[in-house]
Formats: sequence, structure tokens, C-alpha cells
Amino acid sequence: MADSIFTVKDLSFAYGKQPVLQHLDVQFQQGKITTLIGANGCGKSTLFHLMTKNLKPDAGEIRLGSENIQSIRPRDYARQVSIVHQYNTAPADLSVGKLVSYGRTPYHTMGISANPREDEEKIRWALEITHTQKHKDKPVMELSGGQKQRVWIAMALAQGTRTLFLDEPTTYLDIRYQLQILKLIRTLNREYGITIIMVLHDINQSLYYSDEIVAMKGGKMIAQGKPEEIVTPALVKEVYGVDLQIRRVEDKPFVIPV
Amino acid sequence: MISRRKKILSFVITAVGLLVLFLFSVNTGSLQVTPGQLFSGLFIRFDETVATIFDLRFPRIFIAMLGGAAIAVSGVLLQAVMKNPLADPGIIGVSSGASLTAVLITAFFPALYFVTPLLAFLGGMVAFALVYSLSWKGGLSPLRIILVGVAVNAMFTGLMSAFNSGTGSSYSGAASIVNANITMKTWDDFQTLAIYALIGLIASFFVAGQCNLLALEDKTARSLGMNVTRSRIVISVIAVLLASISTAVIGPISFLGLIVPHIARLLVGSSHKVLIPYSILLGAFTLLLADTVGRTIAYPYEISASIIMSVVGGPFFILLLRRSKQNYGG
Repeated sequence: MADSIFTVKDLSFAYGKQPVLQHLDVQFQQGKITTLIGANGCGKSTLFHLMTKNLKPDAGEIRLGSENIQSIRPRDYARQVSIVHQYNTAPADLSVGKLVSYGRTPYHTMGISANPREDEEKIRWALEITHTQKHKDKPVMELSGGQKQRVWIAMALAQGTRTLFLDEPTTYLDIRYQLQILKLIRTLNREYGITIIMVLHDINQSLYYSDEIVAMKGGKMIAQGKPEEIVTPALVKEVYGVDLQIRRVEDKPFVIPV
Repeated sequence: MISRRKKILSFVITAVGLLVLFLFSVNTGSLQVTPGQLFSGLFIRFDETVATIFDLRFPRIFIAMLGGAAIAVSGVLLQAVMKNPLADPGIIGVSSGASLTAVLITAFFPALYFVTPLLAFLGGMVAFALVYSLSWKGGLSPLRIILVGVAVNAMFTGLMSAFNSGTGSSYSGAASIVNANITMKTWDDFQTLAIYALIGLIASFFVAGQCNLLALEDKTARSLGMNVTRSRIVISVIAVLLASISTAVIGPISFLGLIVPHIARLLVGSSHKVLIPYSILLGAFTLLLADTVGRTIAYPYEISASIIMSVVGGPFFILLLRRSKQNYGG
């Protein structure tokens, strides 16, 4: 088994008195694409926000390598983990180039960069790999949905981290742009070795593009593993509460979502 | 987007405008001098007219400029922290909290005059904390901040007026703060303002980058390694300091912190690294203009700068409210 990069141990979290996660244990492997799936309210978003330090656990811990992420300073965390959230806004006159350059913030002290050349290289690389170079001088908010999403990914990539989190990166996009984003994510993983942890809405895209699936229900993990090994009609029934057929195409499982 | 050339042009034009206004303002009133006489009187040899102008008009002019700059930057910072283009230290009660404190100190503990700015700062912080906590409902809705702010502001302003009327306006020092009257200001007042205002203005340059990140979603700013809560507190403290200090010396000025940043954004864009320096220039220009107009429009009587700002700012605020519906869902 490959090295695990994140270890979630005995994690519990509640919103007020409403428990969302109870004694959750999960391991996330380095260098893989792992997708969290589950019905609405299963706790996958909560887990995502705990792992990205937007929420604090009530009990238990999340380790990055051997360190509890609660004891990692925000800036140091941002040098190891970058995050693309589901919903983003920017000022109307902020250019793509400027926004992507914000990705270098974790390496600046009082707004001054220790290594401007590295900043420039990383920003250029991020713009190129996401094919947003040509929009560099345009305002972010004037781009199409798909282009915007690639720009937010570019900003995260400029952070130069080994791990990239994405929260439903394809929501609100047409199928064509969904595929662009998913292919980009795969390229980042396969060619640049970036560990991907994401939440996806579409079950089939999750199965097709992920190395690992973490299926959740009622705040617990009910299955983890390769899609082709774990996805069965019984699991789909348990996760989503509906009877759906599964077909195999090129040895990959597809759920017929009707 | 605004080109670099246009931004530089805005800076140059505003700076020249400020200089011209300054010279005009120096020469407005019963005593008048030529620019040459002024220069020689200031730097070369003693000139009685110039000396009188220097003692009576200069402090007032410099106070108007520095105070205007401080209030404008305070507005910029509050708007960044609250993500609300309608936030203004006057409207949301920070200025009236500060001036109420200043009034009480001036009236009851005149011996403490040298710490008045600091105590006014405390008063401003109390008002700010009240507005912030009372409008918090799992998030800050732009409209709720304004509504709560209006209520807090009304209460402090009412207390202040009650005090002023109840004492028959006999505390002239206090009354001059209530009415935001900068007629009788001296170099000492300028010095008080200058020390704290310069600290606040310099500090604002250091938080410009953080203000830019706050314009993104909080989660996204956090993902870039920013301690969002701490930044909000630091920026708010600077904003309240700037507003309170100017209020302690000048009195509450409404709408300045709203109008200047708004026009500044149209001219130089929303990046705080440009917006803050430009707001300093434009804020200085605007309050000096209001004061100079107030001095000349009904000569030999004077209308205070704060009244001019309210008369001009009111309609402007309504215009912004109407336009903001499209942008902020208020």
C-alpha cells in the first residue's frame, strides 16, 4: 500500500448539537486521486472543510504526514496544501494574472517576496498548464464559468503544493467544461505527481477519474478503495438509497443513473 | 480595467488640484497675500500678514487635509473588512462613539485633554464592536450593518446633543466637537492629530495586501495562508483609530469615508495598494474643499465642513444605495 499523506483518526464534529461526523477513520494516499462521494448531508463537505482547516474538529485529529494539521500555521499549511473552493468571487477589475499571483502569498513576508524569480516561474507554469495564459490581462469576472474555474485552479497551483483539494470543481459547468477540468486534474496528478482530494457530485465522473473512492454515509466511511473493486449495486443502494444498475465499460464501472 | 496611464494621471491631477486649492484656501478671508509674499514670509523674512495667516489659517487647512485623508482611508479599510461599499465611519457610528467620548472628556476631565484622542479611540472601538456584533448573524449582510449602524449612530449622536443642550452649550470646547467646527484650531490641535493620524496612515499601507485578499471569499483567503479573523481585527483597529482621531480633533464628518473611496475606485481601481494612497490625496482635497466652500459661500458667516459634507453626501449615499442593489443584493 502506498504511503498515506493524510490520516484522519477518530474524528468527530458537530454543528451545535447536530453530530455530523462520528469517530471517522480514513487514510488518504499520496500521489492518488481520491474522491469523496455520498448523498447530501453525509458529512463529505464537513470532512472537506475540516481537512482544509475551515472547521476545527471536536475530537480526534487529522494528520498531514506525522503532524496534526491544527498545529500547522496557516501559512505553512498553504505551502503544502492548496484548495479550490466551490464558490469564488473577485473584484470586478482584478485581472487573471494578478489573481493567480495571489497564489504566491504564502511565500511573502509583509508583502515582500523572498524569491521573485520562483514566483514568476510558478505563476507562468500555473497559467500555462491551465491554458489561461491568453486571458492574463482580462478581468477574472468577465470570463466564462469554465475559464473562471481554470483560473481559480491556476491560483491554487501557483502555491506550488504537493496536494490539491477541490470542492465540487465541475458544478455549474456545461459537460464540455466539466471534462476539461477533470482532464486537467488528471494531468496534474499523472504528470506532476500532485495528490488530489476532491468532492464530486457526479457519481460516474467520480468513478472514472478517481484512483480511490471514499464513500460516506451518516458521518461514517462505509467503503474505500478502487472504484472497480468496491462499486456494487449494494454499495450504491447503501450510499444513495436507490437501486441502480452498474455496467462495465473498458473494465470501469458505470452507474446507470436512471 | 483602468490603464496605468489613467491611474497616474488621476494622481497628478488630484495632487495639482490639492496644491491649487491649498493656495486658494490660504488666501481666502479678510487677509490676503500673493504667492510670492507667502513664500518669502514663510521661509525668508518675517511678514506680519503671513505670520497671522500662518497662525490662524494654516492649522485649520492642515487639519482639514490630514483629517480628510484619515477619514477617507478609514472608510476604505472598513469597506474592505466588512465587504461592504456602504460602510463609512460616520454612518455606522464609529465617529459618534468617538466624539461622544471626546465631548465627555473635554467637559468633565479637561485635565485629561492630552489623552483625549486615545479615549476617543476607545469610544470608537466600542461603537464598532457594537455594530459588528449586533449585525452578525452567521455572516454580515451589508444592509444589516447599515441599519444597525444607523441606530448606534443615532443613539450616540442623541446623547451628545442631549449633553450639549443640557449644559446650555456652555462647554465651548465640547460644543466645537459636537458641531464639527474647525474654525479655532491651533497648531497644538494639528500636532495631536498628526501623531496618531500618521501612525494610522502608515499602518494602512502595511495592510493593503491583506485588504486585497479579503475581497476574495473568506475560505479562499484562508487557503492562501491568511489568518482572516486576525487580519479583520487588525484592519478594523487601524480604521477605527483613523476615524476616532480625526473625530476627536475635528468632530464627526459623515459621508466623507464613503464618497472618497467610491470615486477613488472609479478612478484608480480596487487594488488597495493604489486605492489607499489615492484616497489619502482625494480625502485631503475633499475635506479642504468642503471647509473652503463653507468659509466662502456665506461670507462673513461660516458653514462647517461637516454640514457641507452632509448636504452633498446625503444624495450621493442614496445614489449609491440604489446602484448597489444590482451589485450586492441589498
